[in-house]
Amino acid sequence: MPPPTPSSHRPRKKRRFTSAFAGSNSSLILETESGPTPAFPLVSFLWAARAGVSQWLVLPLVLMAVGLFRWAVSLWGYSGYQVPPMHGDFEAQRHWMEITIHLPIFKWYTYDLKYWGLDYPPLTAYHSWLLGKIGSLFDPSWFALDDSRGFESDHLKVFMRATVIISEYLIYIPAIVNFLRRYTRMHGVPVWSASIALVAVLLQPATILVDHGHFQYNTVMLGLVVASLDAIMAGRMLWACLFFVGALGFKQMALYYAPVMFAFLLGVCLFPRVRIIRLLCIALVTLVAFALLLAPFLLGVTGDDARKYLSSVPQPPLLQALPFDLKQDSIFYTPIFQLAQIIHRVFPFARGLFEDKVANAWCAIHTFYKLHRFEASILQRASLGATLASILVPCAIIFRHPRASLLLPTLSSVAWGFFLFSFQVHEKSVLLPLLPMTLLLAGDGGLNKDTRAWVGWANTLGSWTMYPLLKRDGLQVPYFVMTFLWAYLLGLPPTSLEAYRSRNPSEELNPVPAPHILTKLIHTCFYVAMIGWHAAEAFVPPPPGKPDLWVVLNALIGAGGFGLAYLWCLWKLITQCTYVVRKSAEEQRKKKQ
Amino acid sequence: MSDLYPSLAQCAIVATAFKVLLFPAYKSTDFEVHRNWLAITHSLPVKEWYYEKTSEWTLDYPPFFAAFEWLLSQVAHYVDPAMLVVKNLGYDSWQTIYFQRATVILSELVLVYALSRFVKSVPQPNKQLAQIASLSILLSPGLLIIDHIHFQYNGFMYGTLILSMVLARKQSTLLYSGIIFAVLLCMKHIYLYLSLAYFVYLLRAYCLDPKSMFRPRFGNIIKLGFSIITVFAVAFGPFAYWDQLWQLKDRLFPFSRGLCHAYWAPNIWAMYSFTDRLLIKVAPRLGLIVNQDALASVTRGLVGDTSFAVLPEVTKEHTFALTLLFQLLPLIKLWLQPDWSTFVGAVTLCGYASFLFGWHVHEKAVLLIIIPFSLIALKDRRYFSAFRPLAVAGHVSLFPLLFTAAEFPIKTVYTILWLVLFLFVFDHVAPVPERPRIFLVDRFSLLYITVAIPLIAYCSLIHQLIFGLGQYEFLPLMFMSSYSALGVVGSWIGFMVVYFTA
Repeated sequence: MPPPTPSSHRPRKKRRFTSAFAGSNSSLILETESGPTPAFPLVSFLWAARAGVSQWLVLPLVLMAVGLFRWAVSLWGYSGYQVPPMHGDFEAQRHWMEITIHLPIFKWYTYDLKYWGLDYPPLTAYHSWLLGKIGSLFDPSWFALDDSRGFESDHLKVFMRATVIISEYLIYIPAIVNFLRRYTRMHGVPVWSASIALVAVLLQPATILVDHGHFQYNTVMLGLVVASLDAIMAGRMLWACLFFVGALGFKQMALYYAPVMFAFLLGVCLFPRVRIIRLLCIALVTLVAFALLLAPFLLGVTGDDARKYLSSVPQPPLLQALPFDLKQDSIFYTPIFQLAQIIHRVFPFARGLFEDKVANAWCAIHTFYKLHRFEASILQRASLGATLASILVPCAIIFRHPRASLLLPTLSSVAWGFFLFSFQVHEKSVLLPLLPMTLLLAGDGGLNKDTRAWVGWANTLGSWTMYPLLKRDGLQVPYFVMTFLWAYLLGLPPTSLEAYRSRNPSEELNPVPAPHILTKLIHTCFYVAMIGWHAAEAFVPPPPGKPDLWVVLNALIGAGGFGLAYLWCLWKLITQCTYVVRKSAEEQRKKKQ
Repeated sequence: MSDLYPSLAQCAIVATAFKVLLFPAYKSTDFEVHRNWLAITHSLPVKEWYYEKTSEWTLDYPPFFAAFEWLLSQVAHYVDPAMLVVKNLGYDSWQTIYFQRATVILSELVLVYALSRFVKSVPQPNKQLAQIASLSILLSPGLLIIDHIHFQYNGFMYGTLILSMVLARKQSTLLYSGIIFAVLLCMKHIYLYLSLAYFVYLLRAYCLDPKSMFRPRFGNIIKLGFSIITVFAVAFGPFAYWDQLWQLKDRLFPFSRGLCHAYWAPNIWAMYSFTDRLLIKVAPRLGLIVNQDALASVTRGLVGDTSFAVLPEVTKEHTFALTLLFQLLPLIKLWLQPDWSTFVGAVTLCGYASFLFGWHVHEKAVLLIIIPFSLIALKDRRYFSAFRPLAVAGHVSLFPLLFTAAEFPIKTVYTILWLVLFLFVFDHVAPVPERPRIFLVDRFSLLYITVAIPLIAYCSLIHQLIFGLGQYEFLPLMFMSSYSALGVVGSWIGFMVVYFTA
């Protein structure tokens, strides 16, 4: 792809966006008097590969190296280690393996809900079943029904950790590698730069800490989302639907991305011209994918055992709310019961506006203005309204200009909107906006100082807001190590100020702009606040009346930062969109001439 | 100049991040050994250091290492005083683990310093090669497995050794090289294995005139002799004064152990034992006499007397004679041609001889060969082709040190990563030799390296699937050490040829 030539009459302000022109490594190599030097440490690690070493060598080495860091993090504690009676996420996942391999499918969403009842969508359940079956080959006692509750052993830990890393290497990693390859090629980014972006993305501290430290399978869901994006880039919209339904079916959190996908896919069918067949195909594939996902559950309840069993469990509220009367002996009763139960479990509307202390708008407002005084339904409506308002602009843009290159900033701004304003947000959900934002590093000029500074700052802030959670799991050391390592490799604070400094006048051969003064100011404030917070949290006990002072402060600062991250992504989207639109208009004008 | 990236410091930072993450990894009894030494040196007067035996892990390193432990214990006191109590056997609070692991990482800075001195000491055109060799040592899987998981202070020790070897490069710093080596000997006596090479080199290059070996330089002899005697006097003098030297000797050289260590180190004796095992099956047909008493002991491979069922017994005297013989051969050449790269080659060959023929050799001692060899492996392609099987065999032979499931991915993936990366880079940059190579050897070494993959898979996974957990455990160990022995011996022969024809 030939690099786009910047035209001379473009207004000054817009130059910022196109400054790091495609096809150049100018943001990675500094031309100094003693010859070219790498701009930040990660570049020096791949320095030898800049002459074009085969990807067959670079890729395995990178994957092995990042795998080692993942596995090393997994040697540390996990959520709920030695905390009876409920333990934590580790136990929940193990428990789901236990119930799925021992119970018939119609009991999965109803069995002893008080003890870590299954509350993830069906694909997680199938995944658990598969892992449970494999694990039972090693040692059936790990997953003995009821008897294995709270089971802990070194071998079980190794097995569970291995399932996370293997699931990740089967889904997330191939998806990221393929996506980045296609995305960088689309933007005309050199292969070497792409490899550097790949390492940066794969070493994202927050994702590693949550999945391999705290213990979850987020990367499976994120991987399916990235696979879906990859399919969109490749122009295979139907595969994109399939993968996205898979992501939704694995973890409901993928809903953060759903409005974008919806708006984009709809937009693709309507602009620049209406394509009904495509729309129908997309709708059909999505429906079929959902049907396939749920089919085992719906078929599993047709037997008499299931009917008898389901009549003995309390009806899910959704079933009671049905507008029509459903007879217990109707053949539709059990499938609808099952469906209602799944939805009831997966979307816990009955819970509060937010859980614990999470760095979003509601928790921040609650600190100063108690939200208990309102009824739950009002809060729900307020939350819905605020979320919709925050995602309206990005969704509208992607709907009107359904271009694959605009997807990443749209996804991140919408996900930030959800994170900030939606209902029942968990601090781990910050991984969702962070992923597309981090993927921006692979874009055209993604490794220049400005983008690197913002993406790095958001990632550091993201893992910093999870510190209270990680601390509970005994993951302080991995938290510091992984966050510092990432900051160090990308040349970011607190290890280096390189990303904020402009070049010396003597190096003006290919000037790359340093971030705006406002960026510098904001980031400095936040980095200082984060460091100060760590010092305070470590050495100053909170005042007796406010035991949660540090945690609340963390959430407040985090919420402010995430709000800024939302605005930055939105701004990025708008500038990219105007640029793309203008460019295509120019091209059309040229064609006409 | 432009290609000195990544720098040693950058690699050290990233490697440190990884090593810190390994804090909770498996640690061997060596961890408790060193904790016990911290306790002994901190809470007992120097007089009793070598007599204390509350723990079975008595102090059996020379005095300077004990002093190093004493130094660490001064800090340890502020971290967790309970680790400094001699009676607290097996004490491992998280503070103790963090502290001891951190001291390993910090003391490894000596290695980083020594390697940076090494890179500096190399003239400009070969700087890049030296940089690559240094990185390969700094990131060595051997050091990672032994120091940062298994637990020892080899990074510190080998750093001192490299520093001394780098100082031996210039006539003006030869004296310091000798002093530092003497200090090293007073920290860990395993380096006695290399001392003959130092002796010959210092004698020839420092004490005698370079042009004629019949003209001694008395000034140098006095300087060197005086400094080395001072070093040893500081280390052992107090104990001599208290009349404890015999006790020290018993502690430092426990000769009651058997020929082979528990997990056969990959040397000649491993091959000898393996042949013996095979002969047991064949002996009745050949009419050989099988020693029935020995049958039980060989399979176990326990510490203690190893006896052979068919082949003749090996005594300590045999091993000494062989070690000495194969150390003296390269030293003759060093005497005749006392330059730095011959010296490094001689040190390497002394390491080989003692590792291959020594009594009760530990597999960890393979670093005695790998690390000096790394310094000259990139001299040209002939050196590199001798180095290649050693790099594979030496590191694979360390795998049995870590047998827990959680560390399995770390040791294998890290070693494979290192082997792929450095063997590729070495292959890419090693200069063409002046003499032609024997290509047949390359084919063998390729075949040899390829065999490693199924072998590792068998030993770590397939064996257990076939025989079940904990059955015939000696089999994979025996395969592994025989395989590695083949590689080490092969590379030794290859290097001997290169050394004597260079």
